[in-house]
Amino acid sequence: MVAAAALALTAAACGADGGGGESGAASKEPLVIGMSLPLTGPVADRAKPGLEGYRYWVDEINRKGGMLGRQVKLKVLDDGFDQRTAISDYTKLIGQDKVDLILGTFSSDLNLAVAPIAERYKYVYVEPSGGADEIFERNPKYLFFAQPATTQKLPKQFVEMLKRAPADQRPKTVAFVTVDDPNTTQLEEILKRDLGALGIRTVLSSTYAQDATNFDAIVNRVKRANPDLVVSGAVAQDGINVVRSMQKLRFSPKMLYQVNAPTDPAYADGIGEGATEGILTYLGWSAEADYPGNREFVAGYRKQFGAEPSEDAANSYTAGQVLAKAVGEVGKLDQPAIAKWLHANTVETIVGPLRWDAAGRSQGEMLLAQFQDGKLRVIGPPSAATTEKVIYDKPSW
Amino acid sequence: MTLLAQTLIFGLLTGGVYALMSSGFTLTFGVMRVINLAHGALLIVAAFFTWWLWDRTGIDPLLLGLGLTVVMYGIGWVLYKTVIARVQRIDPELTLVASFGVAVAASGVLSLIWGTEARAATPSYFNTSISLGEIVIPRAQLYACVGAVLLLAALYALLRGTFVGRSIRACATSRNGAALVGIDVERTMAQMFAIGAATTAFGGAALAVLYQFVPDSHYVWIGRVLCIVVLGGFGSFAGAAAGAVILGIGEALTAAYWDTRWTTAVPYLLIIAILILRPQGLFGARHRLEGATT
Repeated sequence: MVAAAALALTAAACGADGGGGESGAASKEPLVIGMSLPLTGPVADRAKPGLEGYRYWVDEINRKGGMLGRQVKLKVLDDGFDQRTAISDYTKLIGQDKVDLILGTFSSDLNLAVAPIAERYKYVYVEPSGGADEIFERNPKYLFFAQPATTQKLPKQFVEMLKRAPADQRPKTVAFVTVDDPNTTQLEEILKRDLGALGIRTVLSSTYAQDATNFDAIVNRVKRANPDLVVSGAVAQDGINVVRSMQKLRFSPKMLYQVNAPTDPAYADGIGEGATEGILTYLGWSAEADYPGNREFVAGYRKQFGAEPSEDAANSYTAGQVLAKAVGEVGKLDQPAIAKWLHANTVETIVGPLRWDAAGRSQGEMLLAQFQDGKLRVIGPPSAATTEKVIYDKPSW
Repeated sequence: MTLLAQTLIFGLLTGGVYALMSSGFTLTFGVMRVINLAHGALLIVAAFFTWWLWDRTGIDPLLLGLGLTVVMYGIGWVLYKTVIARVQRIDPELTLVASFGVAVAASGVLSLIWGTEARAATPSYFNTSISLGEIVIPRAQLYACVGAVLLLAALYALLRGTFVGRSIRACATSRNGAALVGIDVERTMAQMFAIGAATTAFGGAALAVLYQFVPDSHYVWIGRVLCIVVLGGFGSFAGAAAGAVILGIGEALTAAYWDTRWTTAVPYLLIIAILILRPQGLFGARHRLEGATT
């Protein structure tokens, strides 16, 4: 919270500097990009690397001469993972502070609330997170998703893997433990349908609130249903708690597919080293991928922050790349023109080439990854796989 | 039947820890009429100390919690002398605002020192359990609950059997009366507040082992503590214990038999019911007002 306040102060000070400039110096004023992130609250641990991804992108772009010849400054507010605060933050950034550009926040829950604000003010809104279909259903014209695919296609490679699995290794029953979030609830619906088509029967479906802390009783229901496969639709720490409760209750499913939590840097620490083996998740980005700029990003980020970049850091960096490319191509801060350019073109990013449909859904594909020997390895699609080995029978905890 | 037994065990084990977490808060209110909104933050401070020391030394986090009792007592005493007592002299109700300010500041300082990543202490037994037939008892929950109950018993003995305890109870009944019989009211108040803070040491250690936490997790925990205390009756020691167990079992039953989505709404539903049926709480008495101090 203090860190956020300090950021806001710095940003405010920059704004004050700009206000006093003469009209001739206008082009030398920094270009201000506004955003509001859940820096405190239940997903704070993910927003921090998310912010660092943005910071890394800004530093890099400023080293290369800035955007439209102007240095770039971020103005960052903290919404505490609260929809109403996020709405008022973005309204303030656009309406009152008159920032030049905005960039997106984290989670489907917040983006669902913020995307319509950007739309109303006609500001291009590139979001690093928020793939739930609900967000795109109103056919926004200014929204662009900076991950390779929206929730619609998120579990595709997982379903493909199950199709490829030998018949005796394929799970027969599935239980869903899902946090109440637009992204994860949609994921559950999709998987229920697709797994049902493969003959995998749903034996339990349970949803918990975002502020749940006691998972033992919830997980006990899963244990009693005794499914072969558990699909854990988590947003952050909640996923770690779900696994910890399974361990406590001595329930180790044959297969565990969990979203979002496994890419949290605190994951292995949280569930215990060695317990990660065989856990499946999707990846929107891989540190090993060969897309232009990816290696430089991984190395540079490591150097600047002394840690491996997380998926969230990569996603915000990508959002920055998309915005910078479009603004550069258009050559001026003309929001409708920037949106039009993005709808018509493909942008090379560290998650691969991105292009969008009319509502801003990206048209790429998510990767399927599995923890093997303590590291996330890409196992699907086969063309992008970094290992051929697939563990169908997760070792018991 | 197994499901019911298992659910009740979960509820009781959680409730025991909740009870210790709430005891300090309710006593501080009962004796001093201070609603200490920094109580949740003290729990998180203790949780961070526990996690940090455990990470450094590998000593069992729950044992560290016992040791930290002295440290949290000291922090409570300093907090009382520097903030609470001063503000209370100006206007007793301001302590609510001041303690909330302390909570917000504490969360900021914690995130400056340790960052905003989620932390948890994971001793070797954190994810293991004891099996009794089909029923499982998570070890960490069991140890935390046993420790909490023992500490509650010790606290009860302290209040009942020692001079400090009698002074505290005397002040709770009537400050003027206590002063008249020669009790140093100011010192007793500081001791009470510090004891309230000391209970957060083991409570925070249990939190560090059982749950993930971040610097501003204190909102969740002060919310839960308030629910328990309103449920049991403000200022009542037995009420906090009963409220904690009811809340623990209520959460577990809801998740097992109704809908996991409603679990987090349980405390608030219970509170609405209590406020309608028995506004003073289960064990609360309607307090006699004393002109000079209220």
